[in-house]
Amino acid sequence: MTQEKKITVKKQAYLVNDEIADKIRRLMKEKNKLFFNIMGSIGAGKTLLLERITEKLSAHYKIFVINGDVATTIDADRIAAQGATTVQINTGGGCHLNANLIQKELDKINIDDYDIFFAENVGNLICPSAWDVGAQMNIVVVSITEGEYVIKKHPIIFKGAEIAVINKCDLDGLGFDSDILVEDASKIKSDMEVICTSAKTSLGLEALIEALGIQLP
Amino acid sequence: MHEYSLASAIVEQVRKIAQEHNASKVKTIIVSADPYEMVIPDLLKEAYGIITDEHELFKDSKLELIILPAEIICIDCDHKGEPSMEGDEEFAYNFRCAKCGSRDTHLNIRHLTIETVDLEIPE
Repeated sequence: MTQEKKITVKKQAYLVNDEIADKIRRLMKEKNKLFFNIMGSIGAGKTLLLERITEKLSAHYKIFVINGDVATTIDADRIAAQGATTVQINTGGGCHLNANLIQKELDKINIDDYDIFFAENVGNLICPSAWDVGAQMNIVVVSITEGEYVIKKHPIIFKGAEIAVINKCDLDGLGFDSDILVEDASKIKSDMEVICTSAKTSLGLEALIEALGIQLP
Repeated sequence: MHEYSLASAIVEQVRKIAQEHNASKVKTIIVSADPYEMVIPDLLKEAYGIITDEHELFKDSKLELIILPAEIICIDCDHKGEPSMEGDEEFAYNFRCAKCGSRDTHLNIRHLTIETVDLEIPE
């Protein structure tokens, strides 16, 4: 004999992920570390930006970067060459990083050995926005070559971001227009900082580092 | 396609709930989501079916998804509730506040939530 019972749950599906994310955020705060989640589409320039940031900061800070990609260690290798310690997560078919994946990598290191942590999320403007990785700030990188409607088409990821980086601004005027993306980003979330950069020429790099709250000696 | 990750998270939580209640079967799971949660209902159900296919505990179980009305928080007047209209000519999801008419609003996305679980429990 069996009986049927209805259980009221009222718990988010993301509960386990979000608990781990909160734990990571608390730990980073307690230890006075910085942790940033870099999101953006494939080819937006996330890796080159992280290479430039690492190049600029590695003489002063110990940097740890977690790269998420479906396959290869290309990004982790590129950033490591600039002076950061890196680890590549290959997600296989996975389209985003999550807090559990980040926690597993943090468990393998001594957090006290580093000052600044970055997660370079899988190239995607949709799924990463739904999964908290425990960062203190979410940064979305878009490039002006992705087309003038890229922000309008992907509003949700910007609504959850603290900083929008408009990259490849060295191509401004060469058939591409950064003004449209800056205006869209500013309208879509009024309290989001919008910064124009070129990872190629390092344009806007210092403004981005300042917006991240990192002091350059 | 993060529906697979979401379905896995649902199954993991429900499995624990079933264990806590010594249930022999999960019959129905009702989940709710915001319309702007970016969940595709058919894909979520398909992923749920694939994940639970070989689990005796979940055999013949159903996953039902309720889509909630959209909710915004107005930055200008703090009003929280349904927007006055769906969509915007310029920006998708940038809704107008029903109280003061401001466009400076944030979507208050209610994330996918497990509402209830119907269990079969041996007497």
